[in-house]
Amino acid sequence: MKSISNLKVVKTSPGTSIQDLGRNGFSEFGVPYSGALDKRAFNWANHLLRNQENAAMLEIMQPGFKAVFETPALICIAGAKASCTLNQIPIHTHGLIRIQANDVLEIGAFEQGSILYLGIKNGFQTEKILDSGSWYPGITPKFMVQKGDTLPYTSVDPTFFESNSSARWNSDLYDSELIEVYPGSDWGLLDLEAQGAIFEKRFTLSSLKNRMAVQLEELIPNSIAELPTAPVFPGTVQLTSGGKLLILLRDAQVTGGYPRILQLSESAISLISQKKPLQKIRFTFLKN
Amino acid sequence: MNTYYQSITPLLGEFSWDQPISDELLQFQLALAKQFKIDFGKDVQEMRMGFKTLSILWNKEIPWMEIQSWINGIADRLELLPLDQKCWEIPVCYSASKGKDLKNLAARKNMSMEELVSLHSSPSYRIHFFGFLPGFMYLNGLPEALHTPRKSVPELNVPAGSVAIGANQTGIYPSASPGGWHLIGTSPSVFFDPNSNSPVWAKPGELILFNPITEKEFDLLIRHPQIPNLK
Repeated sequence: MKSISNLKVVKTSPGTSIQDLGRNGFSEFGVPYSGALDKRAFNWANHLLRNQENAAMLEIMQPGFKAVFETPALICIAGAKASCTLNQIPIHTHGLIRIQANDVLEIGAFEQGSILYLGIKNGFQTEKILDSGSWYPGITPKFMVQKGDTLPYTSVDPTFFESNSSARWNSDLYDSELIEVYPGSDWGLLDLEAQGAIFEKRFTLSSLKNRMAVQLEELIPNSIAELPTAPVFPGTVQLTSGGKLLILLRDAQVTGGYPRILQLSESAISLISQKKPLQKIRFTFLKN
Repeated sequence: MNTYYQSITPLLGEFSWDQPISDELLQFQLALAKQFKIDFGKDVQEMRMGFKTLSILWNKEIPWMEIQSWINGIADRLELLPLDQKCWEIPVCYSASKGKDLKNLAARKNMSMEELVSLHSSPSYRIHFFGFLPGFMYLNGLPEALHTPRKSVPELNVPAGSVAIGANQTGIYPSASPGGWHLIGTSPSVFFDPNSNSPVWAKPGELILFNPITEKEFDLLIRHPQIPNLK
């Protein structure tokens, strides 16, 4: 017996959206994948909830989220480590959290990481377009959750589920500075000086970060001529004409014109997504 | 035609060609993609086209050697099919109000706005692939006289339907977006429909033609946007 009720969003900062594992099979029409930026954290929450692996979740990129559950529910929090309260009482975000009707969940400061996932039993029941529930401008009617929005979910009796699991998302792995990469399609066009700099430098994340890409601060000398437009993927690192490194994330366009210098491993995409502006990274090369 | 294959990650590889963008190269890319699907389809998650590239996302690891020897064996025997002669006629209102850079661009090129419009709307353009935005067509065939470096500072909001020129390319913005190309007109047509499982109406290899329309015709067509007609 499933009945649909709503999560009422009382307050949110920009950068909150519904995401699943993304939109596969439409890149030939120019449609990006989208999907959870930190797939590791996303998968973990759905696993703990015993959901289908693609069940839609709230992805929250900034503190200052507050919402009311209309009816009982079972939720799980993963990704960034944040101070959370339920009805103004601080809660641990271990394992599964049982929710009663009219409970108010608030998400405050992020201590570790920069993206938090709020998973719910059976997933949020928002509309799927082109086989995916992931929000993206021009594809889904909305691309950001706003104050006053209602997000449908299936009400469940939370006492029916064991919640004594103390399994907890380990956000310590977000402290690692090492970003695993492979040389990209255009790596060979870089001169030795530029290659050396990429091997050795510690890079700083800039504040230019959204679901499409994150830019690094340090400059790399770029002597490569403009290239014909070619495929790019989440995790592709482009070198812009100004010498900035741009790491593409899940909402990346399907093609681009800048040289493709590096390609991140799948787990490195999740890790870089969790980094905050001013944090440092180093590239570590994997053998293909 | 020399075809190179490069492994990027264990599951990502790329074919590339070192020759000018042309109908012949596109023909070869499409033929190779077709044969590739027949021979490796079940191991392939996705294929993505670029002007001189074809990326392969694998479901499982395939040794580089296996692909390189496949190319060596197949390259000379590929059946090159003639490119589609299907031609889509895209209505475009070229005017100062529908293309805010039309006047400046014409002045920069030492031509009248009419001459610029006539140059842009004379040739047919070949669709190579979709990218940049959902439903954005990468086109080849812009007359050299119209090649113009992109704006040094991109516009924050280029309106949907804008027809624009950037470097050696021309294109239509299917949705509003930031962009650095010079805006010369607007089309009232629909270029992307997210509610359809085949959200675009054209295919790589087909042709498009820009058909100049008046402000009045534009105002009529924009009330009930439709997909363009075939010529």
